[in-house]
Amino acid sequence: MTDATASVHGSLFQADARTRRRRAAETRFRAYGLGAVILSVLALVFLLSSVLGNGTGAFRQSVIRLEITLDPAIVAPKGTDPEALAKVTTIGYGRLLDQEVIAELTAKGIDTAGMSAKDISAMLSKEAAADLRRMVLADPSLIGQTITFDAFANGRIDGYFKGRVTMESAALDSNVSPAQLLLAERMRDAGLLRLAFNPGFLTAPDASELRPEVAGLGVAILGSAYMMMIVLVLALPLGVAASIYLEEFAPKNKLTDLIEVNISNLAAVPSIVFGILGLAIFINFAGLPQSAPIVGGLVLTLMTLPTIIISTRAALKAVPPSIRDAALGVGASKMQAIFHHVLPLAMPGILTGTIIGLAQALGETAPLLLIGMVAFVRDFPAAPPEGFFDPASALPVQVYNWTTRADPAFMERASGAIIVLLVFLVAMNAVAIVLRRRFERRW
Amino acid sequence: MSVGILILIVLCIGIAGFVLGRQRALSRAAAEGRRLHSLPSYYGQSVLLFATVPALLLLGGWLLVQPMAIEGRAAAHITQADIPEGSSHDLVMADVRRIAGGLAALKAQGNLSDDDLARMRADLTDIRGRLASAGIAVGDTVKPNVFEAAKALAAAQTLSHMLMTVAVLAASAIGAAIAFLRIRPEARARNVVEQFILALLIGSSMVAILTTAGIVLSLLFETIHFFQIYPAREFFLSLTWNPQFRGGSELGIWPLLWGTLYISFIALLVSVPIGLLAAIYLSEYAGKKLRAFAKPAIEILAGIPTIVYGLFALITVGPMLRDWIAQPMGFGESSSSVLTAGLVMGIMLIPFVSSLSDDIINAVPQAMRDGSYGLGANQSETIRQVILPAALPGVVGAVLLAASRAIGETMIVVMGAGAAARLNLNPFEAMTTITVKIVSQLTGDTEFASPETLVAFALGLTLFVFTLGLNVLALYIVRKYREQYE
Amino acid sequence: MNDMRIVERTVDANKAKMTARGVQVYYGATHALKDVSVDILDNTVTAFIGPSGCGKSTFLRCLNRMNDTVAIARVTGEIRLDGEDIYDKRVDPVQLRARVGMVFQKPNPFPKSIYDNVAYGPRIHGLARTKAELDQIVETSLRKAAIWNEVKDRLAAPGTGLSGGQQQRLCIARAIATSPEVLLMDEPCSALDPIATAQVEELIDELRSQFSVVIVTHSMQQAARVSQRTAFFHLGNLVEYGETGQIFTNPKDPRTESYITGRIG
Repeated sequence: MTDATASVHGSLFQADARTRRRRAAETRFRAYGLGAVILSVLALVFLLSSVLGNGTGAFRQSVIRLEITLDPAIVAPKGTDPEALAKVTTIGYGRLLDQEVIAELTAKGIDTAGMSAKDISAMLSKEAAADLRRMVLADPSLIGQTITFDAFANGRIDGYFKGRVTMESAALDSNVSPAQLLLAERMRDAGLLRLAFNPGFLTAPDASELRPEVAGLGVAILGSAYMMMIVLVLALPLGVAASIYLEEFAPKNKLTDLIEVNISNLAAVPSIVFGILGLAIFINFAGLPQSAPIVGGLVLTLMTLPTIIISTRAALKAVPPSIRDAALGVGASKMQAIFHHVLPLAMPGILTGTIIGLAQALGETAPLLLIGMVAFVRDFPAAPPEGFFDPASALPVQVYNWTTRADPAFMERASGAIIVLLVFLVAMNAVAIVLRRRFERRW
Repeated sequence: MSVGILILIVLCIGIAGFVLGRQRALSRAAAEGRRLHSLPSYYGQSVLLFATVPALLLLGGWLLVQPMAIEGRAAAHITQADIPEGSSHDLVMADVRRIAGGLAALKAQGNLSDDDLARMRADLTDIRGRLASAGIAVGDTVKPNVFEAAKALAAAQTLSHMLMTVAVLAASAIGAAIAFLRIRPEARARNVVEQFILALLIGSSMVAILTTAGIVLSLLFETIHFFQIYPAREFFLSLTWNPQFRGGSELGIWPLLWGTLYISFIALLVSVPIGLLAAIYLSEYAGKKLRAFAKPAIEILAGIPTIVYGLFALITVGPMLRDWIAQPMGFGESSSSVLTAGLVMGIMLIPFVSSLSDDIINAVPQAMRDGSYGLGANQSETIRQVILPAALPGVVGAVLLAASRAIGETMIVVMGAGAAARLNLNPFEAMTTITVKIVSQLTGDTEFASPETLVAFALGLTLFVFTLGLNVLALYIVRKYREQYE
Repeated sequence: MNDMRIVERTVDANKAKMTARGVQVYYGATHALKDVSVDILDNTVTAFIGPSGCGKSTFLRCLNRMNDTVAIARVTGEIRLDGEDIYDKRVDPVQLRARVGMVFQKPNPFPKSIYDNVAYGPRIHGLARTKAELDQIVETSLRKAAIWNEVKDRLAAPGTGLSGGQQQRLCIARAIATSPEVLLMDEPCSALDPIATAQVEELIDELRSQFSVVIVTHSMQQAARVSQRTAFFHLGNLVEYGETGQIFTNPKDPRTESYITGRIG
């Protein structure tokens, strides 16, 4: 091969055919890689924009602004003491609302030709009268006064302004007619009807199939918050305690091996299996109530534990042995060395891991379906700890619940609920990142 | 006394015990003129721990066991005749619980005295009306036996609650007293406290074992139940899945298994090439800026809950595939399909595959790259012919882990794949998976003891065994791979 | 230093294969190599010696542009192979490295079979048209690397299963399979035991007949044993360059003398 050397290789300045081919292959491969990266990022953008685009509408709701005179003859025929007020049903308030709407329409000179009073009152939410009644019951001094009241428009009318309902679909729909939509348009032009920010979406409880316009996330947010409290209170101490034992004290034997194997496998068990566990053990065996945050919290605790244990152990491992030696060297016991020196140093890492575990638990849905959290719950749970045993919903489950309903208005609310969920997750992760940045220590 | 107040009292006893214990240690040391063995606060801590931990454990255990123990007694009042046509024992017991809750609420409001309750008879008093005033709505007239059961339940609950309060407070007081009396200057308080804490640490790490045991036992127990009322042969061999409300269901696992594997396969087909190539590009080619932007972006995908992916499949990807591809080309009419679920699940798995591959690629030593570059290989040749073969076991492990995730994924398939159990090859058809059926069988209205409900446990066990097997195998492969380069 | 048999060595008057002029290397803000000018002669073993961190390995990695793979490295000056500037924009480092091969400090066989290890270079450079030709190249390379007899019966076994000395000779075989003109060796014996070292040193001397060999070494004895020309580097400077015999017996620079006699290093 000696003789071949000089003749085989041409000038360095000229790429031979093979080198050019190889360069092309290199470029192609690079392009595939870049393509994969771009595709992943695009998927993220597409996913977020689709959900955000669909969901922002949920925060704005069509309302009809009415000036209502709370005539004592209608709302308080038997005096204003609470017992008597409570006897007046929503039907009474409904009639009052209907009168006011028609009065308002005539006052503004809006043409209502060809529409019955029933058609016009159907444009209001079925919940509007109940809202008004609750307002009066909460503050009886309003009786006799003229108040400004924003009544929700019916979900279909709202859908029309958000592009969900069209004239064509309304013609086929028994719940709304094109005439009503036209009237709604005239009402909007007259400034009577407008899209307004709807805080009730965050605070109100869920609503039935027929009144999507008043459905809110109040119970779900509270339920999720309760469960997060339970997870935090149980999983953080348990996880840290288990990690300290495994990392610092555990002798190397069969039992600790078994624990280790268990933890790494539990981290990969499908979440729905934890739901089956919750159903079989906590509900059927221990008899805890269905749909209760306590059961959800326990199930999520068991799911989150491996995550917390794994990150806590990493944080403990990152504390150099010299710290332990130093503490032991001045006569501290092992327990003192760990609790006084190692644990505080590992704390930022532990908290970061815990927050990430909590964020995972917050978004978890499947196991909660199995323990009955998908049930329709309108009552707010009581204050903890008793409230932990009351039925409640949870944010991700509420999303699922809404997607199973027929009215497309609930789809918009599901996407809106996702936005709320993502805001919570972003906030939690931001806290975790700040913690890590701020306390990151290089040894 | 509510549970919250009870906990507060126990904590107060503990804190008082801490302060008193510390003082006692100091004063006795001063009186006897001896040095304390441990720091004074350790004597306080020992009282605190003995006063609170056993009492709180007792409380937790009691709350878990109480419903189970007392419902049995109430259930004895219910005879077969009390169970209406088409209902079940469980439903009647749910009524009993509701009525008992109502009675307790009435008592709490002061509208019902113990004597009243003893005299109340279902056939004489307007129980519905009285319960309604307490905010409890009861469906129809209350049968005497049901009401008796509810009365017994309410009484037992009150009794149990009282006993629990007494027991917990007693445990706390006794624990505090024992620890308090043991305080002497020469007592090794620190050692006692540390032993106690070590026991707590060990106990905490046992939770992992208990969880696994709980999973295995609950699955196994109900699965055995299931196979007692439904032939195992049918379950494992039948090709039809057709649950019926009134018996005669066909519950063969194959259509579900097929749907699961088909969707997982498509998910892997999407996620493995994209995830792997993205990991390669980001670790070998990308400049600092691109990496700083793209890596977190891909990681965000991993932090998004699966319900979000499910909604994405339901409202965006599904209709898009149907309107743009399936309908115009005549493949199908359904927006939920194998492809919808598979694609979305694939997106979900991209960050999973890419972060695992990233670790694995980085574990290949630099010397290997140098060797290849030194021979005149360019980057892509080095990656394809040296790094990937070297990393192959690790990548296989990562793919297995991703497969296990795909098989166990629930929300995306619940919302994207459909509910029809089919053995079919068309990816535009709706099919269903094991996890979907677990959800639908366990959230339905069927009686718990029916094969249609219990089959969910058999499905769960199958799922658990499957994913566990994949995980163990994958972790083994990855560990072997890591050891090779350590 | 009594085993240095250097004095009576003859040095052929070979032509320069590679010429370096005014080479500077920066790693980020560190000035790692300062103004180095060297002629590497054909069919000669050139040794680079000097204390750790003196820049000898850095310079070696400039000769086949391995520094390109280090993101923060910057090279200025001029290095020519057969009169062509290897840092010219038109040069593809891939083609350059086929002509300037490299053997590393730690044996780094790929996790493939022995055969595939050696065949890797010829395959990517397309040096063999048929399987028979490839077989031929593999066998010749393994023979030249003096390892053929040890591995000929287990060519399909993984290269990682060989002993350290065998692995390094396999890596040498792998490097010469692409028929390079210059072979760069970065402390090729530092991870080997004395017996394996002796085998590799013997091999280096044989390789001289076909290639120009550049070896970086920590051991002055090794430089004295295998090389005809020696360059001494110190703190990023090329202090002295000349015939091995002259450097070791009659160094001109006091720093070289201090190093040779063991006062710095």
